[in-house]
Amino acid sequence: MKFTVVDVGAKAEPPPVSTVPHSVLLSTWLSPGFPVGAFSYSHGLETAIASGEVTTADQLADWIAFLVERGSGWCDALLLAQAWRAAVADDMVRLLDAAELARAMAVSGERQLETTALGDAFLKAAAAGWPSATTERLAGTAGVAYPVAVGATAAAHGVPLAATLAAYLNAFAANLVSVAVRLVPLGQSAGLAVLARLQPLGAAIALLAEAAPLDALGNAAIRSDIAAMRHEVLYSRVFRS
Amino acid sequence: MLAAISRSDAAAPAHQRTEGEGRIAFARRDGRTVLRDLYQRGAVKLRMPRAAEAEAVLINTAGGLTGGDRLALSVEIDAGARATVTTQACERIYRSLGGAAEIDVAISVAAGGRFDWLPQETILFDRGELRRRLTVDLAPDAAFLAVEAVIFGRHAMGERVHTTVLHDRWRIRRGGSLLFADDLRVDGNADALLAHPAALAGKGAMASLLYTGPEPERHVDAVRAALGDEGGASAFDGKLTARIVADDGLALRRALVPALAALRGAPLPRVWQM
Repeated sequence: MKFTVVDVGAKAEPPPVSTVPHSVLLSTWLSPGFPVGAFSYSHGLETAIASGEVTTADQLADWIAFLVERGSGWCDALLLAQAWRAAVADDMVRLLDAAELARAMAVSGERQLETTALGDAFLKAAAAGWPSATTERLAGTAGVAYPVAVGATAAAHGVPLAATLAAYLNAFAANLVSVAVRLVPLGQSAGLAVLARLQPLGAAIALLAEAAPLDALGNAAIRSDIAAMRHEVLYSRVFRS
Repeated sequence: MLAAISRSDAAAPAHQRTEGEGRIAFARRDGRTVLRDLYQRGAVKLRMPRAAEAEAVLINTAGGLTGGDRLALSVEIDAGARATVTTQACERIYRSLGGAAEIDVAISVAAGGRFDWLPQETILFDRGELRRRLTVDLAPDAAFLAVEAVIFGRHAMGERVHTTVLHDRWRIRRGGSLLFADDLRVDGNADALLAHPAALAGKGAMASLLYTGPEPERHVDAVRAALGDEGGASAFDGKLTARIVADDGLALRRALVPALAALRGAPLPRVWQM
């Protein structure tokens, strides 16, 4: 019998992903504890709270729902889907195109900082435990938008698109809810109730986005964009966007 | 029978499709920008006001667009040339009886060139449908300024947009890579959509601006001041982006004129002057 020399300094091989339920991967990658730093960004919501436009749970739910249905959340979902499909097809050109498009769609400096800081941090964190050739090549380009990073990573580990979209949109909403809990302020329970109210919408939008072509990109959340731009000159800021 | 057809109904009568195409090119010769090429077909006419240098005015002789109509404009700016194209009037998008009106604008600006795309406002009527594409290809050191302003029904004239389909797609490339992409989309129940606080909060007009050129951050304070409390601007990544919502076309123009003047560093074309 031969001894196998175990090099304890070598990078541990990840467990075969097929044995890990998709929901476990998604809840790890998109949990607030995953070190991407989402909690530092308000996506312009801080401006809307400071100007008194979002001061109640209802207003918060309305604001987030609009972004998910017809604003940056919807666009993120389509970009995530595009990246996922490109990665599944091992089409690096299409994946980098999606990354370029996602970056160019950021409407303000802070929106761009937000999506690329989260995306880069996500790729780095995912590489530590869930490496893949696709995401490694993607990480070679600095400033990868968050939905593209998530979509490519999910695809590389065989996580279905619809579940990834639903988890991504839920994390998007949860992060904005936590911004309001801190700033409005809203009670923890009121915040959770808003998140629960938004979950059926997020699930429905995830299904729509899964079936939609990239051409369905569209944004009507003009005042949310303006809020993101105005955040740069907000007098007193807690968040980075 | 005829009396039953209300004059205020914005629908165009059963009509022949409006089609038009314009191509215009400017070059730099002897230190000046000159017209190099001009082509116009169908409903598109291009006029060069004598008083202005390197400025063209686009005219839609059909006087408005509805479903199935199609206008295309292509602009080429050669190395070192500087030019502006505007429109003679607001583009009116009338009630569609089927499909969307389409406007395609393709622009290329060569090394050291500058182009300002300053069309007047688009006025959407109830059930108007518009699909517009702005595709721009810039040399690495070219400068470019664009505005697209939309009025969702002239509220002061009792016009409301209850349903619409609007998709305005911008794809701006510089040195071959995508500098800015935008997909404005307002479709379906416009009353509810536009009333939403994250959308237009019930205001009737909006505009988007993009500037890229030397030192975009140098202009951001002036643009913010011009756009006021209902607008925003950001300078990053070699560009300046801005958006604004306004109660109506007049309020919008009051804000846009100084913002565009700041980004131009020159007076606006005559049609824009208030």
